[in-house]
Amino acid sequence: MLELREVDTAYGPVPMLRGLSIKVQPGELVCLLGPNGAGKTTTFMTVCGVVRALRGKVDVMGRDMASLGTENLAALGVGLVPEGRRLFPSLTVQENLRLGYDAVSGRGPDFQPQLDKMCDLFPRIRERLRQAAGTLSGGEQAMVALARALIGEPKLVIMDEPSLGLSPKLIDEYFEITSEVHRRGTTILLIEQNAEMGLGIADRGYVLVKGRVAQEGPARELLSSKAAKSLYL
Amino acid sequence: MAELFVQQLVNWVTLGCIYALLAIGFSLIFGVLNVIHFSHGDVAMTSPFIALAAAQALAIAIGVSGPVWLTVATCIAVFAVGLIGVILDKVVIRRFRDAPAMMALVATVALGIVIRELIRHLYPQGSNPHAFPRLASGVALEIAGVQVGWFTLLVVSLTLVLVVLLFAFLRLTPLGLRIRAASEDRIVARMMGIRDTRVFRATFFVASAIGAIAGLLFASYAGVTRFDFGVMAGLLGFSAAVIGGLGSMPGAILGGLIIAGIEVLAQTFVPDGASYRLVFVFLLVIGVLLFRPEGLLGRPVMVKV
Repeated sequence: MLELREVDTAYGPVPMLRGLSIKVQPGELVCLLGPNGAGKTTTFMTVCGVVRALRGKVDVMGRDMASLGTENLAALGVGLVPEGRRLFPSLTVQENLRLGYDAVSGRGPDFQPQLDKMCDLFPRIRERLRQAAGTLSGGEQAMVALARALIGEPKLVIMDEPSLGLSPKLIDEYFEITSEVHRRGTTILLIEQNAEMGLGIADRGYVLVKGRVAQEGPARELLSSKAAKSLYL
Repeated sequence: MAELFVQQLVNWVTLGCIYALLAIGFSLIFGVLNVIHFSHGDVAMTSPFIALAAAQALAIAIGVSGPVWLTVATCIAVFAVGLIGVILDKVVIRRFRDAPAMMALVATVALGIVIRELIRHLYPQGSNPHAFPRLASGVALEIAGVQVGWFTLLVVSLTLVLVVLLFAFLRLTPLGLRIRAASEDRIVARMMGIRDTRVFRATFFVASAIGAIAGLLFASYAGVTRFDFGVMAGLLGFSAAVIGGLGSMPGAILGGLIIAGIEVLAQTFVPDGASYRLVFVFLLVIGVLLFRPEGLLGRPVMVKV
């Protein structure tokens, strides 16, 4: 569903990703871990096509990102949760969700039933539908950002540090929902700094250090691996 | 005294509406593209020339003239200027979208000069002023002894209708929602499947068409049009947008009314005020930039450090 092969990227003269290779198979929840500056968000932006790969190949849903614009990803069934939520602050919660739905389903007729589903999954959203997204608390914004990615029922969801800035209680709730979405059959690439929580729900994991994969393997093995701990955990 | 007050009130509302329509274009383009389109005034002021040419062409081709055909000619002009806006975006402005603001500014100033010179050289006797008819004539009503013309009612009602339509378009249509989303975060808008090229095209068409209507009303109010009217129309429209807050639609309307108000007050109460009216207007612009750079209804400018 998603594969990066020997990908290099840079911001101007500063190299970011150096020969990065990762793979996400259908039905998996893969966690990409790494400390600050490891290249996690650059990986997200590269997968989205916002940052272009200088070398290597990025395949998303069987399509080469070199010839596919960011705006075409959603129609392929890819839901995105960018770092810092990045909701449209002056648009209402419902309008944010509408955009997420239209993106994946191409303005299909089932917005209302899907909206109800999201409100069942995130009960706090229901009473905030008419409120400007920028006026929500951080936790609520995190839920809306996830709901916006899920509302079109994407096949693959890519999340960039969704737990950043959330309280421990909300982090638990957030990862529980993410795990539930995965159990229902959605493939997920979870880019995280919170290793315990991320690997706790993942099938496999990659540890990213200085733009390279330093270690990879099943999530449980990574959690208990001394080498992984010395690298990052 | 009451008569003078009502007369100036009528002048204020008429001018304020025209400036507001000009300012809306600046604000819409800045709000969505984050580009100050300095040639917007020049683009807007091509509309009277296109309307005159279309009216003459209609008269020659099918031998018709009169108010109905003038209306047809103005509609042609509005549509044509909307298309000109789209073409200018495609050919010039698009290339400066991600460039430093200074480059876009210089490019659009240069574009304004090109437009003015093209009108001057391509339009028959383009250097000379051309009479432009009142789009509505006659007295509609009388208030406190002051006759209010149909033209004033046309300007006010057209402005109200356009503002309502624009708000409805931005709030209630899928394209409007996309335009608002792209104006807030272009990268995430693309992640939501929004094709920014389509959004920008629609924005330029709408802003330029509204500008064209302002240009027609401006020329009709003055009774004349000139190839260089775009400079003043652009400066006043841009100033109104800055005072109200670039990117804010209600701000653009408020800014237009304030600038027109200052002009009218200066002309009424300051000796030889007509000569100094622009001094007062631009002093206010400087004041707003000094004390409230985001404008009266604009959002504070946040700079990430």
